[in-house]
Formats: sequence, structure tokens, C-alpha cells
Amino acid sequence: MGKLEIEKLKETTFVLQMGPHHPATHGVLKLWCEFEGERVIKIKPDVGYLHRGVEKLAESKTYTAAMTLTDRLDYISSMTNNIGYCLAVERLMGIEPPPRAKFIRTIVSELTRLSSHLLWLATHALDIGAMTVFLYAFREREQILQFFEKICGARLTVSYPRIGGVRVDIDDRVLSEIYSFMDIILKRVDQYEGLLTENRIWISRTKGVGVISAEEAISLGLTGPALRGSGVYYDIRKHIPYDAYSEVDFEVPLGENGDTYDRYLCRIREMRQSALIVKQCIEKIPEGEILSEKAPDIDMPHQTKRVIEAGDSLWNGFIMFRDEKQEIIPKGEIYSAIEAPKGELGFYIVSDGSGRPYRMRVRAPSFIHISAIPKLCEGHLLADVIAIIGTLDIVMGEADR
Amino acid sequence: MKNLIKKILFIDLIRGLFITLKTMFTTPVTVRYPKEKRPLEPGFRGRHAFVRDEGTGSERCVACTKCAQVCPSQCIYIDYSINSDTGARVLTKYEIDALRCIYCGYCEEVCPVNAIVLTEFYEYASYDKKSNYFDKDALLRNWDDFIRHYDGNDYINKFWYLPGINRQRLPVGKRAPKPIIKMLDKPKEK
Repeated sequence: MGKLEIEKLKETTFVLQMGPHHPATHGVLKLWCEFEGERVIKIKPDVGYLHRGVEKLAESKTYTAAMTLTDRLDYISSMTNNIGYCLAVERLMGIEPPPRAKFIRTIVSELTRLSSHLLWLATHALDIGAMTVFLYAFREREQILQFFEKICGARLTVSYPRIGGVRVDIDDRVLSEIYSFMDIILKRVDQYEGLLTENRIWISRTKGVGVISAEEAISLGLTGPALRGSGVYYDIRKHIPYDAYSEVDFEVPLGENGDTYDRYLCRIREMRQSALIVKQCIEKIPEGEILSEKAPDIDMPHQTKRVIEAGDSLWNGFIMFRDEKQEIIPKGEIYSAIEAPKGELGFYIVSDGSGRPYRMRVRAPSFIHISAIPKLCEGHLLADVIAIIGTLDIVMGEADR
Repeated sequence: MKNLIKKILFIDLIRGLFITLKTMFTTPVTVRYPKEKRPLEPGFRGRHAFVRDEGTGSERCVACTKCAQVCPSQCIYIDYSINSDTGARVLTKYEIDALRCIYCGYCEEVCPVNAIVLTEFYEYASYDKKSNYFDKDALLRNWDDFIRHYDGNDYINKFWYLPGINRQRLPVGKRAPKPIIKMLDKPKEK
């Protein structure tokens, strides 16, 4: 090999297409990576492999039927998606669920946060190389899914909340089971921490990887634990309390350095707080109804009825119609956000008075977190790209919609 | 200094290994699926069925088409004719495409006569599409299949009489819970 050619090799960079079928990209995320040696120069994420047109599909369904579509956004935390959607429609209609429904919603959304964080911990640790945590976390997640089955008859695509409340009541027996399980999970979180927090391999793989400062995190639009790992106090449960979060006592864990290790600690502490919230809710839950009086029926009409005015017809072949000027859902638009396990999940709904949303836009946290991957990966090794994808907790069903 | 000693003595790794060692002596939580099955909770949304009425021996459906209206995935196809003597609707076609169904349970919730039900049965995967396309007779057969293997004596679905919801919101036929009593003369399988 001539001298000139060796010089040329030093200049050239290496391009690697990672995904869409890669076990560590958590779905069908594709990354266009440019390397110099083993260091990342440039990364371009490519999304859209799981696009199903959920937003467009919602325009052809009634408000109650469109709720089942939100199950499939972030398919590992479907309860919070449902609640976020129902909350947006409720705020649009100006109705409020009864107190028992509010507490039930808080319980199930915190259980969802637990199951989502458990799945994140399992896969994140598996990507980095700790297999035992994966098996342990799935053991607990299975139990949470069983609680969902007891509550509403489905494990993953629950469709449990309803506009103006929830669909079915929870038995006291199930509530006491959940309460006793929360004591168990607090011990189990200590177990995961014993395996990981002080482990030297874990620390060297996560500390100082994917550092992002508070200013950059805010300007990139990160939310949830990814933002709180940088030490920004932003939690919608505290700032704009919805459901029963104003009546329970909890802390918002914050990180300091904004690296992968801090985000890990944030989520672990959040799991403890979630368990405490569920316990408080079960202690405080009132008796009563679970559906508001003004809530729309499940078979709500999609448009107002047409009145046939036979008397005014000009000729027998023609029939005159008159549309009743009645609004099923009040006209207007609304943006309402909740704190989903991944971050701020917002629903923007435009209503034209009919029973179908004129436009539904989902502000999915995963999609915005993907845009932070190029910034986080700058100058890191190839192996750290895996850790960074894991720490952002991306679900592609939500990002591509 | 303390950290250095910890590091030299491998305290951090030994702590983790001790947890895994302790777990070795606990009972496994895995279920060996085809041999043993996890008990299902009441209200599980599984295979569709038409409730066979004890009195008439056929389906309860009155062809109100509410389930087809409310279905988010539009997988229910209904056709009916009108009896010229009584003016009542007669069900001529009722088909469910189970491969399109998303198992939300809206149909059983909205049915005014508790005719359709999502039973607690989930093992019906097949190699052809036809066997998961249920017509009226197949739905009734699903019900017979389900109730024969059902453990309890009377069956009541959670989504028929939604607990915790004001009874006045429900249709008249659904205000008072009425369980389906299992017929005693059916052959017992064992």
C-alpha cells in the first residue's frame, strides 16, 4: 500500500446504518452514523417506519372510539395515553370526573409508570450488559399487568378510562392486593439498586455518557426524567395538577450532572415515589360513582340528526334537509398535557361541534427525545450510542404514530 | 479511602452476586405455558360469543346494530329483515372478523340485551383466516364451548352491568344484574 493511500484512509470516515431492525434500538429506529475510528462524528435519526396514521384515523371516529387508538401510541404505558386523551376531551367539554374516578385514574397511571420504568430498566440494563435485572424487572412487571387484567380485563391495550370517568369500578379486594404489592415493589427496587447502583461496570458505562446541560435540554424540548436528570424542576403533576395529584404528597427526584447515570437514578427514585403515591391513593380513595353525569355515552352520535322537511319540498323527487344547529362537543380547541412515564404527553384537539375530532395532534415525548440523540452522542464511542438510546426511553409506536 | 477499600475488596460486585445467590433459593415464577395455564381473571376480553338464551335456545340479538355503530375497528357486519306481521327485526346475518377486532369491549358494553360477550377464552389461533371469521352459528358454538368449560355455576360479565356506574345511564334491560345459570343437564367433562 502506497503512502498516499494510507493518508487517504486516515481521512475517510466510516458510515454505519444502524437499524431499523436492531435489538438495541427499541423498535424500528434507524440511525445513520458516521464514525471516525470508533468515535461518532455525526448521527442522523430516521423515523417513520411504524407510521400508522393515528392522527388522521382519529378524525373519522367518534370521540369515544378514538380513545382506543391512543392505546397503541406508547404501547407499554397505554393507561396514561388514555387518560391524557380523556382529560383533553373533558377539558374541552368542561366536565369533571367524580372524585373516586380521579383517584382510580391516579392509581392506574402510577402503576403504568411503574411498569413502564421497569421495562425501561430491564431493556436499558440488558443493552449495557446486565442480564439479571432484565429477568427480575419482568417478574414485577408481570404482576402489574395482572392487576390491569383484574381491573379491566386486558393487559396491554386496556381502553380503561372513559371520557368523564372510568369504565368499571375496582374491587376493594384488588385494591388491597395492589396495596400489599406496593410494599413488595419497594423492596424489589432496593434489589435492582443493589445490582446496579454501585456496580463498577455499570458506573463506568453510564457516568459521563450522554451529558446534556439544563439549558440545552430545555432548548431541545426534553421532558420527563430526561429533563429532570439535568436538574430542571419540571413535572406537570406538580405544576398543573390533574386528577388526584393535588391531594397526594410526593417528591420530584432531580439529577445533577445530566448524564446517563443521573437519569437512571431519577427513574429509580421515581419508581419509589410512584409506589408511595399508589399507597396514599388507596388510603384516601372515597366511595361513590365513577362516571360523571354529563359524560357522553359510549355510542355517541358522530353528527347531529338531519330533519326532513317534507312539506317544503318543491317536487316529489327532492327532499329538503335541515341540519340541527346543535353541538355534540362544544366548538373550540384545546391543548392539554399530562406527565406520562416518558415525558410530557400532550393532546391538541380541534372540535367543529360534531362528534368527531376535527383534528387531533399528539405531542409525543419519544419523538422529541429522538431529536436529542445527535446532540447527546457527539464524540462518544459506538457502544455508548446504545446506552444513550436506552437512557432516553424511546418507544417508536409513539414517535411515528 | 473507604471507596478504595470497597473497590479492592470487590464489595460492589459481591453485593450484587449475593442478591442473585439469594434468588436461587426462591421458587420460580415462570409458568410452563402449554402444560400449565395461568388462571384468567373474570372479565377477560377474549373470544367473541353469542349468548344462547335458555328460553328460546337461540341468540338474544335484536338487530339494533348498536355494536356495529360503536365498533372502533368496524369488524361487525349485520343484516336484518323486518317481520311484516309483528314489525320486529329479524337477524339474518351477523359476522365478526376476529382478526380485525381490537378487543376493546365496547360491543358488549353497549348491547342492550347482553347478547354479545367477549368470553374468557384465548386459545383460538389458527393457520387459516376463515376459522377466525365468526358467523352467527360459530358465535353460538363459541358460547356453548365456553360455558361447558366454565367453572362457576352462574356467569355474569363485568361489562354487561358496569359496576360503579349510575344504573339510570344503562339501558332498561341492563339495570338489574341477572346472572346466566348454567344448565345442570349438560354433560360434565372430566
